[in-house]
Amino acid sequence: MKWIKIICIFLLAYVTIAGFLFDVPALPILNEAIRILFFHVPMWFTMIFLLFISAINSYYYISKGRINYDIKSNEYANVGVFFGILGIISGMLWAKFTWGTYWTNDPKLNGSALGLLIYFSYFVLRGSVKDELNKAKISSVYNIFAFAMLIPLIFILPRMTDSLHPGNGGNPGFNVYDMNSQLRIVFYPAVIGFILLGIWITNIRVKIKFLNKQ
Amino acid sequence: MLKKIFIIVSKDLKIDLSQGHLFFSVALYLVSSIFVVYLSFGSVGINDLSTWVSLFWVLILFGSITSISKSFLHESKKRDYYYYFLVSPTELIFSKLLYNFFYLIILCFVAFGFYSLLIGSFIESHLFFYFILIVGSLSISNCLTLVSAISYQVRNNSTIMSVLSFPIILPILLILIKITKISASNFSWNLVQDDIYLLILLNIITLSLSKILFGYLWRN
Repeated sequence: MKWIKIICIFLLAYVTIAGFLFDVPALPILNEAIRILFFHVPMWFTMIFLLFISAINSYYYISKGRINYDIKSNEYANVGVFFGILGIISGMLWAKFTWGTYWTNDPKLNGSALGLLIYFSYFVLRGSVKDELNKAKISSVYNIFAFAMLIPLIFILPRMTDSLHPGNGGNPGFNVYDMNSQLRIVFYPAVIGFILLGIWITNIRVKIKFLNKQ
Repeated sequence: MLKKIFIIVSKDLKIDLSQGHLFFSVALYLVSSIFVVYLSFGSVGINDLSTWVSLFWVLILFGSITSISKSFLHESKKRDYYYYFLVSPTELIFSKLLYNFFYLIILCFVAFGFYSLLIGSFIESHLFFYFILIVGSLSISNCLTLVSAISYQVRNNSTIMSVLSFPIILPILLILIKITKISASNFSWNLVQDDIYLLILLNIITLSLSKILFGYLWRN
């Protein structure tokens, strides 16, 4: 855990400095707004990663029945949704400057908004059950089911229709990103750094929950 | 296993037949919402295909959520234990799935008949549309039966079913709307191929997850 923190601080410091100061390709329309790539896209990577861990923890809970797994899964979902909201906000700002509007009828935007709705209803479900063991069981089942339905919503459906996002409209994700090496040397560290940050935040929250229970 | 599934399905059917108001209340719910749509569009009517298709599937969505949320509702608390000793969770969930599937097929055709009677029909390739109705009721019942089991576990809460099911059913609903739009005007297999495959994939996912997860949900 100690190393995760050190690497995370190092990477994010590098990303913050390099993301704002390094040379970026000068493209029409995008201009300097391209720098938000280093902060917007990693948010979604982090969200998916954290929600995946949350679903795995839910599976551990229903198969092994230890309440700790349920607490972990809940906290991973919390932090994952938080990163998702950050991703939507940063994406809206970016869209305002490049597409001219905060929200368009783009399949990726709608998919991610729906994904957040799924997890909001997961929180509603958790809130509506009183008994702790029952709550853990029911919400774990829903969490796994919800994650399975999130995958087509975010990864498959947007690829079957045209999208304003780069790399969509029949093309599978990343290779077609016109990312040159200048962007890559900041983008990949940013992804890793934000994922580590997400794990770190979740760890603190889980510790607080454990202490509260005792 | 098949025999037990058949027994539970026929038991559900007998309950529904003896309490006829259960089916008719859902049918009436659908019919009156169709009538609301008909009245609200007024003398202008629905003139384009995409509005027709979207409204139709949204109405089906509301009707199916109302009907499927009842699927575990008339199981009393004591009968839980009874089932627990008699049938495995897999048999129980598959019988509910099957029952909801047939229920939804009837509901879809009733809705389509009344909808096209009042608002008119834009469908040209009828055979394929009926196929979509059947596939659609299969996918909706696959997806919503587990959710109804979840909401049954959360007792005395009627809103939880719709809150849980709306975001989850949406991928399926979007694909169904898309296929219907394509097939209604000029149907060709090449245009809908990818979406049909995706729908089959989603059905496999929901079906297998229902089987696996219901076992954990049912166990106390």
